[in-house]
Order: sequence, then C-alpha cells, then structure tokens
Amino acid sequence: MTAVIETRNLTKTYGAVRALDGLSLSIPRGGVYGVLGPNGAGKSTLFRILLGLIRPTDGEASVMGGRIGDVAASRRMGSMIETPRFPPFMTARQVLVWLSAAHGLTPDPARVSGWLERVGLTEAADRKVRGFSVGMMQRLGVAGALITDPELVILDEPTSGMDPPGIQEMRALIRSLAERDGITVILASHQLLEVQRVCDRVAILNRGKLVREGAVSELTASGERLRLSVTPISKTLEIVSGLPGASGVLEGDAVMATLPRADTPALLRALIQAGVDIDEARWIGADLESVFMSETGSVQHPESIIQEVGHAG
Amino acid sequence: MLADSVLSELYRLSRNRMAVFWSALFVPLLFVVGGMAFHLISKSKTAEMSGDLAPGVAASIAVTNLGHDLVQGAGIVANGAVLVFMLIGAATLYAGDYRWETWRLISARNSRLNLILGKVGAFKVLTLAAMVVFLIAGLVFSTSGALINGHSITFSFDGGDAADLGLLLLLGYIRIIQYAMVALLTAVLTRSLLATLFVPVVLGFGQTLLGGPGLAILQWEPTAWQSQLLLPGLAFDALKAMVTVGVGAPPAPDGLMLKAIVSLALWTIVPLAGAVAWFNRQDLSKE
Repeated sequence: MTAVIETRNLTKTYGAVRALDGLSLSIPRGGVYGVLGPNGAGKSTLFRILLGLIRPTDGEASVMGGRIGDVAASRRMGSMIETPRFPPFMTARQVLVWLSAAHGLTPDPARVSGWLERVGLTEAADRKVRGFSVGMMQRLGVAGALITDPELVILDEPTSGMDPPGIQEMRALIRSLAERDGITVILASHQLLEVQRVCDRVAILNRGKLVREGAVSELTASGERLRLSVTPISKTLEIVSGLPGASGVLEGDAVMATLPRADTPALLRALIQAGVDIDEARWIGADLESVFMSETGSVQHPESIIQEVGHAG
Repeated sequence: MLADSVLSELYRLSRNRMAVFWSALFVPLLFVVGGMAFHLISKSKTAEMSGDLAPGVAASIAVTNLGHDLVQGAGIVANGAVLVFMLIGAATLYAGDYRWETWRLISARNSRLNLILGKVGAFKVLTLAAMVVFLIAGLVFSTSGALINGHSITFSFDGGDAADLGLLLLLGYIRIIQYAMVALLTAVLTRSLLATLFVPVVLGFGQTLLGGPGLAILQWEPTAWQSQLLLPGLAFDALKAMVTVGVGAPPAPDGLMLKAIVSLALWTIVPLAGAVAWFNRQDLSKE
C-alpha cells in the first residue's frame, strides 16, 4: 500500500507546549482514515502542518509524495479545516467558481452544480453565504474541498453543526467518496460512533503522540471480552483469574473476562466442573469509544457528549 | 500559478460590488456630478455678472479642447481622493482573507509568493480600470462643461500630448501602487481590514503635513534627499512637474529626478518585500 501522507518525528511546539511530539504516521492510499484524539491531542496541528498553514518545529512530513509546500503535490489534495468561512457577498456557486479558479482550474459549471448537488446545496446554490447556517457552511466547505477532484481530502469535523439527517447524508457522502470516487478521505471527528461507522482505519493521538493505529475492526476486536452471567460470582472470578493470560472484573451483575477466544471452552468446562451456574456467556466486541478511552485515559470531551445528546434529541 | 492567483482574486473582487464601487467608481462619479453642478452654478453666476451681454457672445469665443483636458485629467489621476478611496479596494484584496478566514481554503494549492503577488496583480488591474474610468469622467466633465456653457468642442492631440499623457498616467499608476503597498504591508502585519484602510490614510496625512509646514520647521529643502526619501508624495509631485513643465520654465534642480525615482521605488519595493517576507513565515491558521 502506498502512503498518501507520511510523517516522521513531526514535532510542533508553542512555547512550552508540545502540540505534536515526535509523531510518525503513515496513512495509506484508499478508504476513510480517522484521526482521533481528545482536545489538544494534536489533530488540528497535524492538519495545519500538512496543509502548509504552519511549519513544524522539527521532523518531516510528505503529502502525496511531495514535501509540505510542494504545490504540485498539494494540488492533488482538498481540505476543510475547522468550520469554513467564505466571503459573505458571494453565493455558494460563486464560491466554488472562485475556488476552482484559485486552484488553477477553468471553472466548469457542470462540475460546480454536480458538487453542490452531492452536498445537498442545490436549492441554496444562488443564495449569498452570509445567510448560511453552520451546517450549510460545512456542506459548502466539503464541496470546496472536492471541487478540484482531488485524490486526497482532509475533513476536520465535517458534521459539526449538522442536524441528524445531515450527519447521515454526510456519512454516506464520505463513504461514497472513498468507494465510488476512489478518493482517500482523512477525517477528524469527536464523534466516535460516527468514526466507527465511516472509517476503515484510525489513528488515536494523545498529547501529540500516536498511541494506537490500525483497522477499526482490529482495534475493536482486540478489546472484546467474554460476558458471564453466573452464580456464584466470587468463584467465577477466582477461576478466571487462575487461567493463564486471563483476567476478570465484576461489572454490574456480570463478570467480564478478558482471555484469548480459543480458551473459551476450557474456561466454560472449568466453571461447570466447579459447580458454577452459567446463565449466559457472550463475547462482546469493544466499541471505538472504549478503545479510545483506554488509550487516552480520558472520557470523551464534554463538547462531543453535548453534540451527541443534541443529535439524539 | 501566478495567473491563477490573479484571476481568482479578480473574480472574487468582481463579486464584491461595494468594494468596486467605492474604490474605482465613486470618485469619478463624484467628479462628474460635482463638475456638472460647478458648471451650472458658474454659468448662472457668469450670466448675473455679465448683465446685458448677449448670451453666447462670450461663449462663442471659448473652445474646449478635449485632448488638452485629457492630459490635464491624467495629471490628477492619482489625486488625494483617488488614493484614499482606492484603499478600499486595496484593503478588500489584501486583508479580505484574514477578515473572512479564507486563507486556509486557498493557501495549500499555491505558493505563498504567488498568493500575495496575485493580490498585488489584481490591485494593479483595479488601478488601471479606475484610471480609465477617471479619464472618461474627466472627458465627461469637460464635455458637459462645454455643452452647458455653449463652448465649441475640439480634439487637438499631438505627439507631445501623447507623451505627456503616457508619462502622467505611468506616474499616477506608480503613485497609486506605491501608496497601496503600505496597505499591503499593514494587512500582513495586522491581519486587520480596518488597519489596512486607516494606517495608510494616517501616514499619508502625516506626510502631507510634513511636506507643508513640517519642512519649513525642519528647515529642509523640498529637493533635499531626506525630504524626497521621507515623502513619496513630494517625489511624485516633483516628477509630475518635470513632465508638465511649460516651455521656458526653469529646469529642475540637479539630481531631483534621481531622488524622486529612488524615493518612489523604495516606498514601493520595501513594503512589498516586507510583506512577502512576513507572509512567508506567517501562521495562516490564525485568522
């Protein structure tokens, strides 16, 4: 797999604060790649460096095989960093024409209309952006990132400020970009459920360092545990802890056992032989949130919880 | 690459009708409307003063030479009002991306040098357009004056007039671009649209004061190096006087042309170089 982005020992300091601390990361071509981390983990700093908005203090990074600032390589990339803003006197259509021209393309009305349609802004295409909601700005930002038909697109919180149907549409668009258009999408989001649903691979950053990287399926599988509804619990905990490479904790009224899947029959046999009543034994896969929390040692940021509560409502 | 930047800036500017109106159209429009009012008022005053003179007697001997007026118009194409109002366009172009937080949309796909020179290029096009509009306004002013006052109209324009016209337009163009370079440097340093608008105005006002009573207080000759280098407006006036000087007028002091050219060049190149250097190392994620 060729890498679209590679960083080596990338470091960025702001005074005494190390926003990125020797980050080495290789993001493969194809699919949707999530960059996760609590606030201050270094996600935005990483994106800003990749886009040439700021310079690293140390280390190297390449985008599409070119060094940062290599315009030829950068032109194969689109981006939307944070909530986008646009000149308020322009319409959505004019913004895309302007961005096309800024990127060296002859503005193509069909392409402009096509991207406006794909992000759901056809009806608002000829309205001035000064009246746009945050969600509409996000949609236009995504269209702006894609107007040049890039091979790689970086989207920072693309669903921020969107309503639940909008989030679903954006999720579908991101998957279709990867699957239908063959664009590599790099996505940062606080909403771990969204990332789990849309991303193929993720990198988890914490305090400017890479703490975990891999396919979403691998990360969640590695955290799966055996849930045992049993009586008596103390005996069960004793037996689980006695098995080599296994451990158990009490969560609610069940024992959660961590052990290799292959050892399940042996454990169940041992429990039965010890006279333990087994009401239920079920493997439960870890979700990305639990992986994230265990890797970063943090709970989700209140902002994302508020967003999720808001979306749920 | 540079062409992409210039074209995109021009496209965006063309959508900003308010900025285009105030920077390129307002002063010429005011010139035409104010000029017509002036002609009408002066005609009525003249009629009152001439009393029993038959109408048309004085007018019949007056001739309006549009060729001559065109050259005169070129001489005032970089007047104070034009300079100040052109700053609206300059501020929009130079500080707009900071104000609208749009640097991050465009900065990844072009070099920093091209991005900033694209803005300068777009402003040059705006300046040329504004100068053309101003010259047309001047012709409208002269024609309307002739029609109101009943003067006959001619268009006499020889090679000397063409040379004067070209030189005056070039000087006016350089003066506007030079003045806007201060705005460019201000925009990059302050990231503020208002500062980009007002810092050059305040600086220009200060230089005007210094060029008047200030020089007398300091006991500096207007033709001295320090006066010319400190006051680009003075340098511009000196060069303009050399172009428009009449036959038999005393020659300009030795070396004045060089001093004036150096002054305008420095006031153009130094702010541009400073802006480019600062912009190259600027964190564009902070807007």
